[in-house]
Amino acid sequence: MLRPAPVPLQDFLEARLAEHHRSPHALLQILVAVQHAFHWIPPEAVEALARELKLPRVRVQGLVSFYAFLSDEPQGDFVVHFSDNITDQMQGCRDLAARLCARLGSELGQTRADGLASVHLCSCTGMCDQGPAALVNYLPVTRLSPERVDRMADLILARVPLEDWPPEFFRVESQLRRSDVVFREPLEPGSGIRGSLERGGEILPEWEEDLAPGDARRHHLERGGAETLKELYRSELRGRGGAGFKAAIKWESVRDGKSGGRFVLCNADEGEPGTFKDRFLLTEHADTVFEGMTVCGHAVGSKRGILYLRQEYQYLREHLEDVLRRRRDASLLGRNILGSGLDFDIEIHLGAGAYICGMESAMIKSIEGRRGIPRRRWPLPVHQGLFRRPTVVNNVETFACAAVISARGGAWFAHSGTPQSTGTKLFCVSGDCQRPGIYEYPWGISLREVLRDSGALDAQALQVGGPSGLLLGPEDYGRSLCFEDVPSVGTIMVFGPQRDLFDSAMNFARFFRHESCGLCTPCRVGTTLLANYVRKFERRCGSPVDLEEIRRIGEIMRTMAHCGLGQTAPAHLTESIRKFPEVWSSRMRTSEFVPAFDLDWALEEARSLTGRTDPEAHLAGVEVP
Amino acid sequence: MSGTFFLDDQEIPFREGQTVLEAALAAGRFIPHLCWRPELEPHSSCRLCTVLISGRPFSACTQPAMKGQRVVCDTPQLKDLRKAVTQMLFVEGNHFCPACERSGSCRLQAAAYHLGMQDSHFPHQFPVRERDSSHPEVNLDRDRCIRCELCVRASRQLDGKNVFGIHGRGVTSRLEVNAPSGLLRDTAIAAEDQAVAFCPTGALTVKRRGFELPIGERRFDRSDLATEVLEAFAAKEARHG
Ligand SMILES: Cc1cc2nc3c(=O)[nH]c(=O)nc-3n(C[C@H](O)[C@H](O)[C@H](O)COP(=O)(O)O)c2cc1C
Ligand code: SF4
Ligand code: SF4
Repeated sequence: MLRPAPVPLQDFLEARLAEHHRSPHALLQILVAVQHAFHWIPPEAVEALARELKLPRVRVQGLVSFYAFLSDEPQGDFVVHFSDNITDQMQGCRDLAARLCARLGSELGQTRADGLASVHLCSCTGMCDQGPAALVNYLPVTRLSPERVDRMADLILARVPLEDWPPEFFRVESQLRRSDVVFREPLEPGSGIRGSLERGGEILPEWEEDLAPGDARRHHLERGGAETLKELYRSELRGRGGAGFKAAIKWESVRDGKSGGRFVLCNADEGEPGTFKDRFLLTEHADTVFEGMTVCGHAVGSKRGILYLRQEYQYLREHLEDVLRRRRDASLLGRNILGSGLDFDIEIHLGAGAYICGMESAMIKSIEGRRGIPRRRWPLPVHQGLFRRPTVVNNVETFACAAVISARGGAWFAHSGTPQSTGTKLFCVSGDCQRPGIYEYPWGISLREVLRDSGALDAQALQVGGPSGLLLGPEDYGRSLCFEDVPSVGTIMVFGPQRDLFDSAMNFARFFRHESCGLCTPCRVGTTLLANYVRKFERRCGSPVDLEEIRRIGEIMRTMAHCGLGQTAPAHLTESIRKFPEVWSSRMRTSEFVPAFDLDWALEEARSLTGRTDPEAHLAGVEVP
Repeated sequence: MSGTFFLDDQEIPFREGQTVLEAALAAGRFIPHLCWRPELEPHSSCRLCTVLISGRPFSACTQPAMKGQRVVCDTPQLKDLRKAVTQMLFVEGNHFCPACERSGSCRLQAAAYHLGMQDSHFPHQFPVRERDSSHPEVNLDRDRCIRCELCVRASRQLDGKNVFGIHGRGVTSRLEVNAPSGLLRDTAIAAEDQAVAFCPTGALTVKRRGFELPIGERRFDRSDLATEVLEAFAAKEARHG
């Protein structure tokens, strides 16, 4: 039984096509809408979209098969995705998923025969501070417990529509545990853009005399934008999305760009597992984020902003659209902002489940309605970005900081932090700590202080910056969080003394294999080989030779992979082997070589087909797990 | 901008708009590559042409040549990494060269010889992939596909047909064709298409042409990949000026 459709598919498609003026670039947005409404992309939809948007069918299918939340097979009336980040896993998400499957009589990764429900695992949903979490029909359900899962099963079995589920299931808390100067008080809406406009100075009488009225205003706008850029230089703000590139340099390149039609893109993909600060900002400080984009629009001479919102956060869309509407009503967005002659508006684009789409050029392709494959390195997005127009891409937090800088001044901002890392930073602490949540500190804070505040001083290890970041042990806790020492997007996942660090190695290796876009050889094959080697240790058949291989594949990927994903994917494994050798040695069968091909393991398929679990179905001398 | 740059110790002249790879080939210097052809937009996916500039890796097929730039290419370390990446391509698919009609004229095999690859080193993945023999003239053997997308680009840019596309992502991504049935027979492909001619491996072959040239007398049996590529490039440059 298929999900009862809200309206006939053809009508639904026609409405979406009209809404998007039949632009082929809207393909992904239309597919996301179809997925939400019908819980899959039926072949007739592929057919119709290919025809109406004049695209080869193979391209439409290529898109559907690229994004994790689009499916070419019917999903159940209730689609459940359990977040499978290591923090969820430490809180038992795998058992909870199995429990739900058992209660529903379905299999993980499949749809129940009667079409009632499908249960899947997915990459981190950004709820690590209130996990384990899942998405039910693409809406987050937090703080899962066996009781909550049982209740979910009852509701699903009774086919209770989501609107009638207990509202507390869907409660997402902001969990701000510590605030500092930048985000302590919400910024007065409009103060950033007012600051930026006022920097243009007064419209002097002699301009009015010498220039046509429109030109005087334009001149004034120009000057304000240029001064705001100077203010941003003064702040020394560095990008908060990971790489730490100076925001002002990026903005200036776009401002100096030869072609018009420039874009301001806000990166709200927040795909790095363990990261949820952008979720916090979009919930509590959406005005400030949009304000920062608008200030950027003024500074670089762009009229169009786009917020690329990850699918996992689409529950925030209504709230964000409300804020945008309010800002338009208050003349803070749209045409002739505050009567200044400045035009700037913002629209929201949804992602569909792909970590790589956080990488800026992959995000650009995704917004263009294509598979999120990173572009070649040149030309840079600041020169030829979205639709080949000069494009600023900044993280949510970077824009929020920019708004505050415009309102309060660059020097004020640069007052906190360290010489090369000015301002404050939002950190996301999760895992084995007493107080998971968001912490705002000036850059330069020591890890130990963060651990003390969050109640995690007994940590055995930390993963800072997400799976692509750094694995740190107690000897590192005196180090400071800043670009000079331990740079990061702000993610701190805590592993307590009771944890087996092997679990994070396996989790991250699977994550990268799953998220590799597949473009380039070293990453596509390397992530697979790495996951297989780690799997060998999971079966307790590792050998020192395998560790050597992991290190070597790591070197190959670091130098030869096309983008940051492949270059950083091996880091956790190689660091884990270097810093925590006992995690690996305890899983070796011998101190010599064990072939990758394991005869007993090769019989596994035959065993599972014949349902054999008895010791007789194994080779002699093999320890049966 | 034009001028010269250094490729290892050799000074290489370049014209405005040329990439490091194009300028190198024009000067008679080979940089290994599989997913690049002069007629098509570069793709930088095979990564064999990785070089170091100021210590950082870049793909020569997309890196614009710049005046005075020092490009490091033929170091033992880079040669070793290129060989490793080629080995990855071999273990990722199912390449039984003795049974492949392309053997001897296959660029993957030729790259392996050129790079001194003696074995595949990494554990073979033995993927299960579907073969498509539905078309009367063209055969698609996905076991041998390295996802270089030369066919995708050639079909779009040169044949004007859009016969191919990539589906899925990561290691499970695969080449698919543009037809409701998903079969080559129902596409616009023809044996003469550039898409077929550009396939560097035995993934796309024309049927009933088996062994027109005996093994031992084929292109890369007679000469090295570098010689072949440089000659073809020089001939093309001479034609187009
Ligand atoms: C695999 C990968 C994933 C990324 N994911 C994100 C992300 O989710 N959010 C983000 O802001 N930047 C992400 N980045 C970094 C972006 O490419 C880009 O540098 C950033 O958005 C620039 O903004 P910033 O200068 O304000 O940090 C990612 C990079 C890579 C290589
Ligand atoms: S490194 Fe990985 S994610 Fe990046 S382009 Fe290559 S395959 Fe894609
Ligand atoms: S079929 Fe040939 S040309 Fe096409 S992607 Fe595969 S190897 Fe490349």
